[in-house]
Amino acid sequence: MRASFKYITLLATLVQLCICVWLYLNFKTGAGFSGIDHESQFQFVQKIPWINLNLGTLGTMQADYFVGIDGISIGLLVMTSLVMVIAALSSWEIKSNLKGFFALFLLLDMALMGVFCSLDFFLFYIFYELMLLPLYFLIGMWGGTRREYAAIKFFLYTLFGSVFMLLVMIGLYLSVKDPATGSHTFNMIQMMNPANYTPGSVFSVLSHQTIFGFPARTVGFVVLFIAFAIKVPVVPLHTWLPDAHVEAPTPVSIILAGILLKIGGYGIIRICLGIFPEVASSGAWWLGLLGIISILYGAFNALAQKDFKRIIAYSSVSQMGFVLLGIASQTAEGISGAVMQMVSHGFLATMLFFLVGVVYNRVHNREIYNFRGLGSLMPKYTVFIMIAFFASLGLPGFSAFIAEAFSLAGAFKSSSVNGLLPQWMAVCGAIGILFSACYFLWTLQRMFFGSLSLKGGDIWKTALTDLDTREIIALVPLALVVLVIGIMPSLVFGKINDSVLELVSFTKNIIH
Amino acid sequence: MHQLTPLIPGYVNDIYDSIKYFMPEIYLSILFIVVFITDLIFGKNSRLLCKIIACTGIVLVIIQDLYQVSLLFVNGQPQGHFFFNNMLLLTLTVVGFKFVIDVLAFVLLFYFDWDHKLRAHRKGLSDLYSIVIASIFGLHLMTMAVNLLSIYLSIEMVSIASYLLVAYRSENSLSTEAGLKYVLFGAASSAVMLYGISLMYGFSGSLNMFGNTVSGLMQANGTAVSFAILLVLLGIGFKLSLVPMHFWVPDVYEGASTPITAYLSTLPKIAGFALLINFLTPFIFFAKWSGFDFRLFLSVLAIISMIAGNFAAVLQTNVKRMLAYSSIGHTGFALMGIVTFTQQGVSALTYYLLVYGIANIAALALASYFTNLTGAEDVEGYKGLGVKYPVASVLFVIVLISLTGLPVTAGFTGKLFIFSSVYTVYQQNHDIWLLLLMVTGALTTVVSLFYYIKIPLYLFLKRTDILSDPVKSSYSILSLTIILSIVIILLGIFPNSIMQYFSLY
Repeated sequence: MRASFKYITLLATLVQLCICVWLYLNFKTGAGFSGIDHESQFQFVQKIPWINLNLGTLGTMQADYFVGIDGISIGLLVMTSLVMVIAALSSWEIKSNLKGFFALFLLLDMALMGVFCSLDFFLFYIFYELMLLPLYFLIGMWGGTRREYAAIKFFLYTLFGSVFMLLVMIGLYLSVKDPATGSHTFNMIQMMNPANYTPGSVFSVLSHQTIFGFPARTVGFVVLFIAFAIKVPVVPLHTWLPDAHVEAPTPVSIILAGILLKIGGYGIIRICLGIFPEVASSGAWWLGLLGIISILYGAFNALAQKDFKRIIAYSSVSQMGFVLLGIASQTAEGISGAVMQMVSHGFLATMLFFLVGVVYNRVHNREIYNFRGLGSLMPKYTVFIMIAFFASLGLPGFSAFIAEAFSLAGAFKSSSVNGLLPQWMAVCGAIGILFSACYFLWTLQRMFFGSLSLKGGDIWKTALTDLDTREIIALVPLALVVLVIGIMPSLVFGKINDSVLELVSFTKNIIH
Repeated sequence: MHQLTPLIPGYVNDIYDSIKYFMPEIYLSILFIVVFITDLIFGKNSRLLCKIIACTGIVLVIIQDLYQVSLLFVNGQPQGHFFFNNMLLLTLTVVGFKFVIDVLAFVLLFYFDWDHKLRAHRKGLSDLYSIVIASIFGLHLMTMAVNLLSIYLSIEMVSIASYLLVAYRSENSLSTEAGLKYVLFGAASSAVMLYGISLMYGFSGSLNMFGNTVSGLMQANGTAVSFAILLVLLGIGFKLSLVPMHFWVPDVYEGASTPITAYLSTLPKIAGFALLINFLTPFIFFAKWSGFDFRLFLSVLAIISMIAGNFAAVLQTNVKRMLAYSSIGHTGFALMGIVTFTQQGVSALTYYLLVYGIANIAALALASYFTNLTGAEDVEGYKGLGVKYPVASVLFVIVLISLTGLPVTAGFTGKLFIFSSVYTVYQQNHDIWLLLLMVTGALTTVVSLFYYIKIPLYLFLKRTDILSDPVKSSYSILSLTIILSIVIILLGIFPNSIMQYFSLY
């Protein structure tokens, strides 16, 4: 009975993967299926009336169970479902209180999938908040020595962002009216259309309201952006991440790095950019700057770390900076690059954290200087480490190269197309790639090359067995996926392209 | 005397007509007498009998409450009806409040004798039931009182019942001290309020709030009138436990038995809000009122209460004391609904109070549960209990999440409705105070998470080496809280199932 929990979970995630692959294969492309601001162009839509509350003089409050996917979400959904399978596989290391762990794991899974699918802001918010509690317990109960601190820090940071998001959400809902029913609605797609805002409402484009003396729409954008930037995380709101990632058990680190960070990027694209395009465009310089700071600051920090897992954690901060840079450019290349980077980083971060977990489980230590010459002791492990490292630092042929190349291309192009980002930002981004090569290669050199020398001596030597079958089964698909996407980026680009183009033209139309 | 004779038939008719609007209260008084007599006849051992009678009685009262909705509609007075010579006012809002009070009272009546400490009282609990029923009668009057006289009398009625309840179990010095403190502060605040009322009467020459009081007050000196209103509001604020009239709350909540704390932190507070609405409405509807700025005053009070209550709760380690401070914060938040001065705000408030009441009673019931089992009153004592008592601990998490106001719980929808109602008004008048209220409400939510999560932290995250043998757990509290938690989650997913009735008015 005790052992069956993990198989049930694995089965559930596998079924989910199959469904997502089926969705991917049946996902139609073309101008008629681009989604974004056209409700009819979303696919696999389900819309069930949920809350319909008559508020007397104020009309009706309308929130629907409204889910559907377009190009932006399909890639992330497939990525999420594969990462969840790997996370379930890596949960074999969990030894205590299995029932609780897997119940929370599946609850979290539900919330994550929900976030990427929901098109109703109310539903989105519920899924968004629903992630927090399982994660708090997953980090806090099965984490490392400083788990209590890491768990509460993560919870408070994210909640701080999301309570203010709640206020903006209510403001948007009271500003927007569904033209069909005439009632206030949480429908995100309706919120994207400036014509649906009631004249004189707080967030109406035309009414130029102010909040505390600042333009209301700018305040709304900034609040939402901060909420998502905490998730991404964007420097200087990133300080929860190293703690949470390091203290969390491997499967939870995988979910955090692989999926949770993407919710931030996804939210910025879908909500910040979709609902406040003109603010995003006028603030693009600042977004780009934050992206650059994240790239460089993350890379420098990664260089300075001595803990293997912390290096990976900071490399995530650095790599997610490219997402922000790509979004800030508001070009087709940049946004495609951003989405691609999210998908690619999802797989790579999973791989990296899984690999860190392998060493940690065997000797319960991950100090870099305690290991040397692992290459001769664990050859298979080293192969996967090298694949993951080289893929992450942007070696051509792997997915991260495509993603970073497109983000940078967007950032370069931006100065000539829409003049949002200066070219030095793209240059800084390119320098960031250089630094990522530094920390990855340096780590590789320190830990894996040279003659074998371990702090724990012979005990560690016997403990550090090479990868077993389960671990190889988990790693091979990831390595294959990053390679295949690197060689055939059209697998992702083909599905997302229409939506990206639609998003770019939609934001342009709104601004002019 | 002879001059009054022609008036008598009119008064008699008024009283006769009023009775049909007074049915729930008549039921309550009969119930009180029945419980009281049962106690007298069967003596100490009548606890269970009294409980059964009280619970069934309350169900009948709830049914009578619901009849009143149709009564108002049938008589074509959905706006409300004055009766007993304009002493009382029955509106749909009032019915909503009465419904909330009675439902929560029903839950409380079940819970009282499941607390081991209270049950161990040597006098038995039969008296307790009759006191509670009498206090519910007072609470009903509070929700309907619109005359300065009836306002004062109803508050006093509830206060006296509350004093008795707090001091009911006084075997240690802490609870005796709490009881005495409560009586002294309560008496002082009543005196202050009575002084305010007498000043108002002096200035306006009328006790009838919906009559000439407000217009009379307009004629008097503005500063003096503001002073009088301030005194009355202080008295009501004492019942609501708003900062700065909150200092009695932590000690009394900690000192009283847990079920009594659950009673104090919900029912009188809810009735207090209803009373505050009754008191404010004449001023709000009196278009020419230009004196005391209620919105400013109440906004400041709400902001201070939210900040002080929530930040003080962070420092607490005693569970009941922590919930006491958090209830101050909740009052501040709920006050937002009143500050809107709209019908929507009042509906949101009713809903918020209902879900707050359910969650707070459930939280205190679970605190009772753990005290029964392990004697723990501090969060320290909860260390590692999550593994031993998983069901109760998971329920505790659900309840606390609802109190914090995170989805998918009733607390979240309550917050959502309050925020929406404030936002709607803000959209119309751009009052900076409303914006500040919302920002404070959002910020203190984060603060509240910090202390609410302490309980799950100790239950689940902290590990303990001391493994005492599990005591046989009491299933009664557990089943009650399971039901309450299910209600909390259901209301979180389908808030309109209840809210649609509250937003009728």
